[in-house]
Amino acid sequence: MEQDRRAQWLRGVLDLCVLGTLARGESYGYQLAQALADAGLGPIQGGTLYPVLLRLQRAGLVAARWRGGTSGPARKYYQLTAAGATRLRHAGAEWSTFAGQVGAILAQEAAGEN
Amino acid sequence: MRTDAWLAALAGELQRHGVGADLTGHVVAEAAAHLADSGDPPLAAFGPPEMYAAAVADSVAGPAPAAPGRTVGPVRLAARGITKRYRRRTVLADVDLTVRAGEVAAVIGQNGSGKSTLLRICAGLARPDRGTVHVAGRLGYCPQDGGMSEFLTPDEHFVLVGAGRGLSRTAARRYGRRDAAALDWAPKPGVQARHLSGGTRQKLNLTLARLGDPDVLLLDEPYQGFDRGSYLDFWHQVFRWRDGGAAIVVVTHLLNQLDRVDTVLDLTRSEAAA
Amino acid sequence: MTRTLVVAEMALREMARRRVVLIILLLLPLAFYLSRHGDHLGQSIRFVCLGLGWALSTAALFAGSAARTVEPRLRLSGYADRHLIAGRLAALWALGVLLSAPYFLLVRLDQHDVRYGAIAAIMALTVVVSASFGLALSAVLPRELEGTLVLLAVVGLQMMVDPAHTSARVLPFWFSRELATYAVDHTGTGYLDRGLLHGALTAVLLTVLVAVAARARRGRRTHLTFVPLR
Repeated sequence: MEQDRRAQWLRGVLDLCVLGTLARGESYGYQLAQALADAGLGPIQGGTLYPVLLRLQRAGLVAARWRGGTSGPARKYYQLTAAGATRLRHAGAEWSTFAGQVGAILAQEAAGEN
Repeated sequence: MRTDAWLAALAGELQRHGVGADLTGHVVAEAAAHLADSGDPPLAAFGPPEMYAAAVADSVAGPAPAAPGRTVGPVRLAARGITKRYRRRTVLADVDLTVRAGEVAAVIGQNGSGKSTLLRICAGLARPDRGTVHVAGRLGYCPQDGGMSEFLTPDEHFVLVGAGRGLSRTAARRYGRRDAAALDWAPKPGVQARHLSGGTRQKLNLTLARLGDPDVLLLDEPYQGFDRGSYLDFWHQVFRWRDGGAAIVVVTHLLNQLDRVDTVLDLTRSEAAA
Repeated sequence: MTRTLVVAEMALREMARRRVVLIILLLLPLAFYLSRHGDHLGQSIRFVCLGLGWALSTAALFAGSAARTVEPRLRLSGYADRHLIAGRLAALWALGVLLSAPYFLLVRLDQHDVRYGAIAAIMALTVVVSASFGLALSAVLPRELEGTLVLLAVVGLQMMVDPAHTSARVLPFWFSRELATYAVDHTGTGYLDRGLLHGALTAVLLTVLVAVAARARRGRRTHLTFVPLR
């Protein structure tokens, strides 16, 4: 798959994916990056992820708390807020609609060729 | 780049972008933890510190909130009806500029639109054909270059200019070095002005204009030869001086800081209108 | 007072940093002295004094020109014309004394049967006149080159013109030859009086010229009004 296009798609949905991952429980930056990579989105660099988290925090969709670690350094843990959960629900619905519409168009092309 | 060097650079860049000390600490600590967990080299995980810092600053910034408690004071510089002609050409046509204490005015315009001339008139170094200028308080002026003695060292300059402002030698040196440090410059003792690089000479120029805390500061594109970090430091300082009550006029043709200034005087338009 | 002293101190520091110029200035009068050493007595004295005048006027010219770029800033910082002029003159007088002292010693040891007091007077007046002369040139002429050429012409004329002509008194260092005649040829006090008067008058006139030129260069800033806040 083209790297550029994939990167563009990812840019459009990364914040929503972060919200989705946080819905399963609070997490810190590196852990989030791992989860997203495991889900198949490929390696997410820190330089990309943390600004997104900052924006979400500023918009009130996630809250953050520093937790001192007995095993390792203090880490900043992010949790989904109520507003974040609402946004995630709406986004999920919007995405399904959007993906369905795009899929239908692309399927037409394929069907048209046969 | 080694991790601690990268983190230190990141901290510096964040401060340059005006990110507060608390948030800077958090961002740097979080990046450090991420690098420790992932084991990735910092340039691969985050990119160059300037770029990451810019991305963070973008994420955090929004429309600049009015700085709490910043009051705008009385008029410190009032220029009215300034007109200047060189031979047949009208360089300035009936220009007005009013700047109050605690305000920054940017003067913009194309080359030749009279920006420097206006500042020189306000500083009393040139005479207009018509118009008046009123200045309340003390005036500091930083031309695009010059204004220094080639064979004296920066410290000697501080003492010389400081004595005019009524500062003792030690106070003059202390204030001069402090303002220099804010521009990321530590003057080496014994180095004469003629041996300084262009950008460093301009830092001296700017520091001398500011010495003694003048009430009105006229700055004519003083950032010639500054690297990008120093350029950001310069604007950072301008806004700090403003918050301290100075009235500042900056001539510039670089427009990226305009949304933070209080007044913009566009000489191209006013010249065209004449 | 402090401001004048600071101006003087910085002017001296500036001059001290121009090592090559200082060495040339120091040796120039020596060259003049030696050029006439074998001649009839007293010529070397006359020439060394002239050499001192030329060297110090050049130093003053360069000091004045160098100050040009920084002067507007100094004025804005609170210096008045009198601080700038008095400070610079004081520095040049100090330099003049430092330059003349070894030559006075040289004359004292090398030349006999001359009035040393008068020679000291020549050197003192030369210092004062040269300082103001050089500063006046730098104030009136735009660049150092023009000033140096004028100095060359003046010194040349000083050497060639017959001091007995009344028109010779126009030259700034005419007093030098009058007083030298008094010192070397043991003449009556007429030469002494004329020399001292000319020297004093020239010094005063040239200093006034420096002040006037400084004022003119500053220009009238009638358009600008300052309201002091403190």
